[in-house]
Amino acid sequence: MTFGEKRFHKKLDKIRRLEEEGVLAKKKKGSRALSKFMSNKMAMLGLVIFTIIFLACIFAPLLTSYRPEVVDLTNLMKPPSKDHIFGTDKVGRDLFARVLYGGRVSILVAGGGALGGALIGVLVGSFAGYRGGWLDKITMRLSEVFMSFPQLILVLVMVTIMGQSTRNIIIIFVITGWSGIYRQARAAMLSIREEEYVQALHAFGLNDMLICFKHMLPNALSPIIVNITINIAAFILEEASLSFLGLGVPMEVATWGNILNASQDMYTLQNAWWIWLPVGVVISLFVMSINFVGDGVRDTTDSSIQG
Amino acid sequence: MSGESVISVKNLKTYFYSENRCNKAVNGVSFEIERGRTLCVVGESGCGKSVTASSIMQLLPKLSRIEEGEIVYHSETQGDIVLSKLKKNGKEMRSLRGKDIAMIFQDPMTALNPVYKVGWQIMENILQHEDVTKEEARKRTLDLLIQMGIPEPEKRIDQYPHEYSGGMRQRAVIAMAMSCNPKVLLADEPTTALDVTIQAQIFELMESLKKEHNTAILLITHDMGVVSEMADDVIVMYMGNVIESGTAREVLKNPVHPYTRALLASIPILGKGKEQQIEPIRGMTPNPHNRPKGCQFEPRCDFSCDTCRESMPGEEILEGTHMVRCHCWREVPRE
Amino acid sequence: MAKYIGKRILMFIPMALLMSFLIFGGMELTPGDFVSNMISPDMAANMTPDELNVLREAYGLNDPFLIRYVKWLGQIFQGNWGYSLSSGVPVKDIILQRLPVTLELALTGLVISAILGSVLGIVSALKRGSLLDHTLTLAGVIGMSIPQFFFGMVAILLFALNWKIFPVGGRTTPDMVHWWEHLRYLVLPALVLGVTQTASVMRYSRASMMDSMHKDFVKAARSKGLPEWRVNLVHGFRVSMTPVVVLLALRLPMLVSSSVVIENVFQWPGIGVTFKEAVSAGNYPLVMMIALIIVIMVLIISLVLDILTRVLDPRVRLE
Repeated sequence: MTFGEKRFHKKLDKIRRLEEEGVLAKKKKGSRALSKFMSNKMAMLGLVIFTIIFLACIFAPLLTSYRPEVVDLTNLMKPPSKDHIFGTDKVGRDLFARVLYGGRVSILVAGGGALGGALIGVLVGSFAGYRGGWLDKITMRLSEVFMSFPQLILVLVMVTIMGQSTRNIIIIFVITGWSGIYRQARAAMLSIREEEYVQALHAFGLNDMLICFKHMLPNALSPIIVNITINIAAFILEEASLSFLGLGVPMEVATWGNILNASQDMYTLQNAWWIWLPVGVVISLFVMSINFVGDGVRDTTDSSIQG
Repeated sequence: MSGESVISVKNLKTYFYSENRCNKAVNGVSFEIERGRTLCVVGESGCGKSVTASSIMQLLPKLSRIEEGEIVYHSETQGDIVLSKLKKNGKEMRSLRGKDIAMIFQDPMTALNPVYKVGWQIMENILQHEDVTKEEARKRTLDLLIQMGIPEPEKRIDQYPHEYSGGMRQRAVIAMAMSCNPKVLLADEPTTALDVTIQAQIFELMESLKKEHNTAILLITHDMGVVSEMADDVIVMYMGNVIESGTAREVLKNPVHPYTRALLASIPILGKGKEQQIEPIRGMTPNPHNRPKGCQFEPRCDFSCDTCRESMPGEEILEGTHMVRCHCWREVPRE
Repeated sequence: MAKYIGKRILMFIPMALLMSFLIFGGMELTPGDFVSNMISPDMAANMTPDELNVLREAYGLNDPFLIRYVKWLGQIFQGNWGYSLSSGVPVKDIILQRLPVTLELALTGLVISAILGSVLGIVSALKRGSLLDHTLTLAGVIGMSIPQFFFGMVAILLFALNWKIFPVGGRTTPDMVHWWEHLRYLVLPALVLGVTQTASVMRYSRASMMDSMHKDFVKAARSKGLPEWRVNLVHGFRVSMTPVVVLLALRLPMLVSSSVVIENVFQWPGIGVTFKEAVSAGNYPLVMMIALIIVIMVLIISLVLDILTRVLDPRVRLE
């Protein structure tokens, strides 16, 4: 027997023993979806990491006494120490403070962009899907245009038109991010629309808006939530990419991407790892935690993916 | 049962392990499949009849395994082969699959690969097991299609499954199964997805194949009408156990187990008119993860007693080959 | 089939027009006008304001928006794509020079991610629940979570600066004798681009493979006694290939976005570097034309992939 087979049989033996002892039959109390999510180790780990980073950014002033933009010319490019736990950058700014405060802006931009896009996508998508007709045709075509534009190209074109600022970047993310959720909401509506309970609600003479948003939308919610988490993760990465290109949030504002951007030169890369490594890890961890949570939500609600 | 058996299943236990639970899908099943006879396995969905067939072919899903018992294939040329001991996808097992033992699936819509031509898929089986050239294999495939009564076989052989109608697809699936003249044919509800008229044609086809090649057929069904048409022998399964078995005559003429009787009472009989009483079986099949302690049918049985709640009844031979597993069969009133 | 291709091309035209219309609209929102964008700066410098006004009149700048759009489109079809504001070089020349360089990188990356992603996805699906599967799935999520340029920077640090296996960036050296010498420059950026794209291809091909492995026809193939590799590849993979090709088509825009970033990390002198420079310099005609060309290319490639999926799947082939 190979190692894999042994492992497989051992696992089955354990389940069988527990089943025969009646341990497994006693479980499964409370909400099924919730308990399934809780038992998903990766999703729980993701939730914990997400919460820690999120709270640390929100309560940044409590965790550090430094300000992210204060230059200290006596402390240039110092490696991590007791005073500066992430070290300092080229102009002596405390990197720990920059990562925390930068996180605020990055999360605001990505979250704002994703939620704003989701709001528009859900409103337009569910109504278009529910009503059909010319509204549906026009919005569908429009979303196709947005989908076939490479996101970064579209963002950069809009940066060219609108100029760089934190507010503009959020608006640009909203404009470029609505189409995916729009399509999902629309598709969900199209399929729910055919179900009998909706026909029944019509027969009761309920008004369209009420049926659409109160009775149908909740049934399409969980895939939409998954999509929002995907968008937040994507926008965090995109903000970082934009800043890396020097075309995102203006350089004066600390964001995760801007911190990384300051370390593009070969000298920093080779000699000052603390400038780019911690913030790179924080971005990756944060995005990863969102992905884990998103996967967890999808697995708990989607019965077709099992095993 | 009197003939020469080709497959013996003894105390087969196959358990499923999905979602971190253990489901005793087949829990100690024994029967014989005999040459040139049709054995019908009857039961509601989830009673373990398909799992039994998959166990014989060793085509079980990943998260499942044969725990106990053995399945023996009595080969004419190679002597007895214990199938349950062979490696799942090993060489010996594969050399039997499709050649000595073949399977017909429930849904012809999904049993054919949508991206390959039907003829190619039948030829694949022949080429796998026999040392023939492509031309010969194609010739035999063509013959098979003719034998199965598929119109315009020269054209049909190069068509894709979606160009076939449902009945024709099932004929193609049967052609695939019969292509190497198997000794045993396992048919898992082969007509559930088809129209009634097509059903009859398919059964007729299977019947004639059985007569011609002396093939043993294991026919899985939940349709008592099919059983009375087709069966030489019958086993009735409930929640992973055989609860009654015997020749078709014994079981159908003189059903003993309350479940068998209820099954027979739940189907309308043509010609009796609309006055006849059809009695559905009360209650529902128990959750496989939360089984009754004693007899599995006890919660739905009208004749259960205290013993039934305590222990699963053993096998009891009534007469000849007629077996029943019921504590109280004597109390069940005869018509 | 021919009918489908014809229909699909007919659908492509309004889409391309819509795109060009939006881009033209975007250009209208930027500073500068038709004349300063469409004539060479050298020419403009030698002209008096009166002459420029005559030109404006001649180009019909007082025409309504739609008329101007049609005229602009006509110019593009005649090969006048405008001039770069910073260098005065025709935009068309810049794009024609840079585009092949980008395609070289992007296609290599696409091939790497398609092969690596589908192979790992299949292996993962076949070994479902095994240690290998869990490891690959975890690696996939991690791979999707690391910013691409960060990944690129680390690759430069390790492979170029510390170990000196590959050059830091660029595409050629002046003293290059043989064409293949520049392949050394291609390896690192193409690998980074390919590997960062692999994660999602892998996830998708795993899901698609799992889906087809659960189908009855796979069980039927196994019931013929076929060896496992044949069941998995000839029956399972062949069917799951169609959705994977569809995914590759859908991901094409993302590949383009990524190569813009990767080109800038490695100073790969393609259209991505040009695009970034044009955006930061406010070189509007260049930005808009590059965007238009990229979008049209994406549309064309997805058209080709759409037709390819038809070829792969007989069910839709005969529609």
